[in-house]
Amino acid sequence: MSTTIERLPESVRRKSSAPIIEIRDLCKTVSVGFWARKVEILRGITFSVNEGDVFGLLGPNGAGKTTTLKVLLGLMKATSGDVRLGVSGLADLGYLPENPYFYDYLSGAEFLRLAAQLCGVEGVESEARVEALLNDVGLSDAADIHLGKYSKGMLQRIGIAQALVNDPQLVLLDEPMTGLDPVGRVEVKAIIQHLRERGKTVLFNSHILADVAELCTRIAIMKAGVVIWEGHVEEALAGASDLEQFFMQRVTA
Amino acid sequence: MRRVFAIALNTFKETIRDRILGVIVLFALAMIAGSLWLASISLDEAGRMMKDFGLVAVTLFGLVVAVFVGASLVHKEVEKRTVFVIFSKPVGRAEFLWGKFLGLCATLFVVVAAMGAFLFATTWYVAHAPSASILLAILLIYLQLVVVVAVTMLFATFTSPILASVLGVCVFVAGQLSHNVFSLTKLGHGPLVKVASWVVFYAVPDLSAVDVKASVVGEDVARWSSVAFWSAYLAAYVVLALLVASWAFRRKEF
Repeated sequence: MSTTIERLPESVRRKSSAPIIEIRDLCKTVSVGFWARKVEILRGITFSVNEGDVFGLLGPNGAGKTTTLKVLLGLMKATSGDVRLGVSGLADLGYLPENPYFYDYLSGAEFLRLAAQLCGVEGVESEARVEALLNDVGLSDAADIHLGKYSKGMLQRIGIAQALVNDPQLVLLDEPMTGLDPVGRVEVKAIIQHLRERGKTVLFNSHILADVAELCTRIAIMKAGVVIWEGHVEEALAGASDLEQFFMQRVTA
Repeated sequence: MRRVFAIALNTFKETIRDRILGVIVLFALAMIAGSLWLASISLDEAGRMMKDFGLVAVTLFGLVVAVFVGASLVHKEVEKRTVFVIFSKPVGRAEFLWGKFLGLCATLFVVVAAMGAFLFATTWYVAHAPSASILLAILLIYLQLVVVVAVTMLFATFTSPILASVLGVCVFVAGQLSHNVFSLTKLGHGPLVKVASWVVFYAVPDLSAVDVKASVVGEDVARWSSVAFWSAYLAAYVVLALLVASWAFRRKEF
């Protein structure tokens, strides 16, 4: 896989298609502490992600980005609002959690085999897919090493590999660049770009705005449980020198 | 079913590769071997002594594995957030729990079988004759431990691992005293004691019904038809405990 990042032509990037994720007025309230104090994490967020988009979900810590992904996955139940996924359930979805931790006692290949089995991918197909993914994320040489001995960057890459083991149409990545060195970042960006070229839809959270500007077609900015801006990256860059400046303008406004 | 098997196999690998398990088994084997010394100083009771001491050792060390591993198994997955990966795949909450349960049962089987085989060999050596009843007693100890695993996992779905462990041990002890609780339902003073005794009798699995240690050491004669009936009852109890655990786990948010 190539590790150079190229931006697709704007005509391609702006190509609109059917929404694969539609979120309307999504609210999530949780109970905290002994007295079950109610805290609103999501306060009526609305945005949609089109098929083939690489969509960046941005926002400061505590904005509700991870909670939004958890509701999409069914790890949390929405208090109110609508979530519609244009894929056939979890079988067509891949997910990388933030700061992933996997089973220390499994080797990289064993872990991917387990992920494949859980997705219903078995036998020869499973073996072929595991081998290809290990190759794609550059971990072929570490296939038989236990995950407990993997570096943070290697864990991030095996995490991406497990998210792709079922060849999903929709991929959700929670902070995929966190903790990676420059080489690891370039490799992860190449994986996302490769997914985009294959027509997959990617939704990812990131604090590294340069990467978002480089990879994303559209973005949404969240703050304190609401979406304060949604649109194409070009629109954001039109009134600011870079995405960081635009982000700061919106978040501090 | 394949997903349940995949999770069970993963849980088996997780628990069997845990070094602490090896330490527990070594302690158990050392205790059974130590009973050889006890047997050597007992007059004409060497075989009985060995069986009695050995079966208690198998039960106690098996209980340690069942309770402490059973209580932490699911909690560890939540704490380390590996459940995020599992439940982002098309895996149901009940499938996950059943997989964890079966995986731990497989590990427990290996542990109990290792201890049981050693006990069988040592009693054979001391008594100069094999004892088939000891193998059956060990199988029934395993059944009791499987019940404890299911109950402890049920507690672990809505409480902390430490509390779940304590409750698991309490259920095991109460289950061993089930016959005494039944006596209280007849002989207890006052309606409150009788009602409470009935509640405890029905809520706690009757583990004493499949405890054949006394017959193995020659103090009693086991009624095998009743043992078979109570074994089926305990199997049903396990299914019920896991169904309730699955219901509680389904409501959990991560």
